[in-house]
Amino acid sequence: MAIEKILKDDASEEKGERARMASFVGAIAITDLVKTTLGPKGMDKILQSTGRGHGVTVTNDGATILKSLHIDNPAAKVLIDISKVQDDEVGDGTTSVVVLAGELLREAEKLVAAKIHPMTIISGYRMAAECARNALLQRVVDNKENAEKFKSDLMKIAMTTLSSKILSQDKEHFAQLAVDAVMRLKGSTNLEAIQIIKKPGGSLMDSFLDEGFILDKKIGLGQPKRIENAKILVANTAMDTDKVKIYGARVRVDSMSKVAEIEGAEKEKMREKVQKIIAHGINCFVNRQLIYNFPEELFADAGVLAIEHADFDGIERLALVTGGEIASTFDNPESVKIGHCKLIEEIMIGEDKLIHFSGVEMGQACTIVLRGASHHVLDEAERSLHDALCVLSQTVNDTRVLLGGGWPEMVMAKEVDELARKTPGKKSHAIEAFSRALVAIPTIIADNAGLDSADLVAQLRAAHHKEGCNAGIDVISGSVGDMAELGISESFKVKQAVLLSATEAAEMILRVDEIITCAPRQREDRM
Amino acid sequence: MAAVSAAQPRASKTESYVDNKRKEDIRQSNINAARSVADAVRTSLGPKGMDKMISTANGEVIITNDGATILNKMEVLQPAAKMLVELSKSQDAAAGDGTTTVVVIAGAILKQCLSLLSHGIHPTVISDSLHKASTKAVDVLTAMAVPLELSDRESLIKSASTSLNSKVVSQYSTLLAPLAVDSVLSVVDPEKPDMVDLRDIKIVKKLGGTVDDTQLVKGLVFDKKASHAAGGPTRMENAKIAVIQFQISPPKTDIEQSIVVSDYTQMDRILKEERNYILGMIKKIKATGCNVLLIQKSILRDAVTDLSLHYLAKAKIMVIKDVERDDIEFITKTLNCLPIANIEHFRAEKLGHADLVEEVSLGDAKIVKVTGIKDMGRTTTVLVRGSNQLVIDEAERSLHDALCVVRCLVSKRFLIAGGGAPEIELSRQLGAWSKVLHGMEGYCVRSFAEALEVIPYTLAENAGLNPIAIVTELRNRHAQGEINAGINVRKGQITNILEENVVQPLLVSTSAISLATECVRMILKIDDIVNVR
Repeated sequence: MAIEKILKDDASEEKGERARMASFVGAIAITDLVKTTLGPKGMDKILQSTGRGHGVTVTNDGATILKSLHIDNPAAKVLIDISKVQDDEVGDGTTSVVVLAGELLREAEKLVAAKIHPMTIISGYRMAAECARNALLQRVVDNKENAEKFKSDLMKIAMTTLSSKILSQDKEHFAQLAVDAVMRLKGSTNLEAIQIIKKPGGSLMDSFLDEGFILDKKIGLGQPKRIENAKILVANTAMDTDKVKIYGARVRVDSMSKVAEIEGAEKEKMREKVQKIIAHGINCFVNRQLIYNFPEELFADAGVLAIEHADFDGIERLALVTGGEIASTFDNPESVKIGHCKLIEEIMIGEDKLIHFSGVEMGQACTIVLRGASHHVLDEAERSLHDALCVLSQTVNDTRVLLGGGWPEMVMAKEVDELARKTPGKKSHAIEAFSRALVAIPTIIADNAGLDSADLVAQLRAAHHKEGCNAGIDVISGSVGDMAELGISESFKVKQAVLLSATEAAEMILRVDEIITCAPRQREDRM
Repeated sequence: MAAVSAAQPRASKTESYVDNKRKEDIRQSNINAARSVADAVRTSLGPKGMDKMISTANGEVIITNDGATILNKMEVLQPAAKMLVELSKSQDAAAGDGTTTVVVIAGAILKQCLSLLSHGIHPTVISDSLHKASTKAVDVLTAMAVPLELSDRESLIKSASTSLNSKVVSQYSTLLAPLAVDSVLSVVDPEKPDMVDLRDIKIVKKLGGTVDDTQLVKGLVFDKKASHAAGGPTRMENAKIAVIQFQISPPKTDIEQSIVVSDYTQMDRILKEERNYILGMIKKIKATGCNVLLIQKSILRDAVTDLSLHYLAKAKIMVIKDVERDDIEFITKTLNCLPIANIEHFRAEKLGHADLVEEVSLGDAKIVKVTGIKDMGRTTTVLVRGSNQLVIDEAERSLHDALCVVRCLVSKRFLIAGGGAPEIELSRQLGAWSKVLHGMEGYCVRSFAEALEVIPYTLAENAGLNPIAIVTELRNRHAQGEINAGINVRKGQITNILEENVVQPLLVSTSAISLATECVRMILKIDDIVNVR
């Protein structure tokens, strides 16, 4: 009795137990890959590109690792997606979220093996997650009213975030940088206003925060190198010649002098354009496109500082921070918004000359200049700093703060355990499993630090049996310590996002009972 | 991908034993790869170091002693090895010299790390201790350093020659060292005394002669002939120089154009018009009193035509054509003039003035020299000569190192002894310090201290001395308080190295130590290599 074929030739179908196994295996493999990067003593990974150039990236950032992986497993892709979302939403905890989801699945796998229906597991997980979230909510500290204390909270959070990264040795320096930068934003989460410039050379400690904006470009020849009270026009316009863009357009003339006339007319047109630009009453002109020699000289003659070929990102930011608009036509000077800043000057960082705009309109704007031994260090430093900045800006909005170092997980695990005891039925197994998955995080942190995780976690659990305990893992001394005293804090928003998205992802993968792989699209033979 | 599908579902997480075999393997292979890179450049360290001959993929041959160049051309693939190449580049950017030293130190520290790891010490513990040790090392070095005044030309020359002594061109160090010092000092801006932009020093290479003929030119040198077509002047006193960015050739519009010729007389007229057009331009130029033209290279149309050259020659204007756009900034800065982009803007105040512009024959090639420039900007040109291309290239690299050394001294005015003295002193002091530290830290710092001995060891080895005898003797001398005792490679014994005039900038040593440590820490922290898109 042959079953009719439903799917195409190359498509495959996996059902029931097999499908579930495939998703578990994929998700757990991903978890195992990134879990060694967790915690202050987590390790880094080399990402070796198989593409052209064999570029090398060294990173500790979960999102970066996952983003670049080749993945062929649908469940693994789900995990990568939640890591990306976590990165976009809160910026940090990208590894934690994957690890927690992976651990939840690992526990679920055992329950499924013990013949508990996935739906039962899911409803247990849901209850547990709700309970865990409430447990956290009860313990949050909110120092919104007290500016002084809040600042020290921010500092602590920044240090905690940075301590697992390459910047850990200079974390105080960078935490200060990040806090200063975020405080300048005054509550906005617009990280666009914080510019990060990377310059190889020097050491990480030489990195600094500078108010204003730095553009990695050169000032044109013979133009002023320093302008006070600058009026800046940011433009995206062709400064060669406006061409007739109709194909085949050509001029027919019958003498050389006419050609010269046309050339003269073209020059005249350019001159008019430059005059129009100068008529805006500016003394600094920044263009995204090239400025040719001829207009450059005209600008120089008018004493206007002209910067050519600024990259797109650069001019958009410049327009934003100086309060100007990007212009492309210059006929109506009154309708163009011109940017302002107090001072433009050329500065030197390392071996390169850059242009510094200080005293800009948008007071929040600032630039962090990163220095470091190599591009690897710089790239990784940028990613770490970005994480810290994201977390801080989120915290400024949602000022609730928790302790770190595995403390929240233990608190949640304890509450969830109690819930399990109160819940009748098979669900309680799932709830218990949830608590085990939560405990896995401190376990991994301890493992990564080369500590005896079994012993430490047992000690932690015992310590948490008391009400109002601040115990967490002190990785530096390798023992259980008071997190409040050690100043290890985390943002509530990050923790909540980790908890909820990990649960959701695990739930989603658990629900799967069939995987259908579509037939790959046929490629035509291109000969 | 393979990595995912290959992984099997693991047993329970509560097991306390974790299998770390693969991670150890990766770390091991990274360290080994990085060490082999370090070993490759080890023999080029020091005044008696050997050179490497590199034949690149396109058949070019390079002979060099410069660590950064060797590594750059090696095209390594292993990621950890690549990091060492990067390390050398960073040292090049930060200090300019010591590019070999930094890699050798990193290699030695990695070697020590291997044994530390095999003792079961956690990589992050090693990494943290290394960081501590390197900060301490920088402190020790700073304490050893001797302050320096920029007016002390002797000391500057000494340190430049220390750098040059390890190069192919070492026999010319007496010539090149003062040259490097003078050129850097001449571009220091009194307003910003700590900043030196090496781009203000232009190095022009010209084949022929020997390195002995290398000279510092107060002015400009163009590696070009003056235009000879139609017998234009090749020597001009009291020159008035214009840098032009427009073309002296028949007009050409941006929009496509064609001239319609309908009969013979018209053709004649067009030719005449062309002549008049060019003549008109040249008259305008002549009217300002300009007698030397530097013409920027143009891709859109001919910068000059035979016809315009002919008229220019008649007008007694010297022409140097095909000046690169990138060079314009340097030239205008030197000549203290402005570039002119349009004939209408050709005014006398935009010209630069010089006493003499002349074409000089060097062997069978010719260059143009501009000297006696009025109100010259803070720039300098060095004309490097050599008997073959390889020597010239190496001379240029060596000179670059020497310039960097002097620049380091300008920005951080401290000197330190060379010849392995600082390293052995560091090793001694850190060794002593490690004894007061507790736990693993002390152990790791001890290893760091031992690793630093690689520098004197290699110096001695490369000089054909007995490294063990030398290093132990050095340790002994330093223990007795002679902190400046170092290896005198020329005499083959240990002497007070400061008295031997072997000195180097503090910045080179400190940045070598801190960069090498930073790189090693990064390699240590890696536990996996993942292939990605």
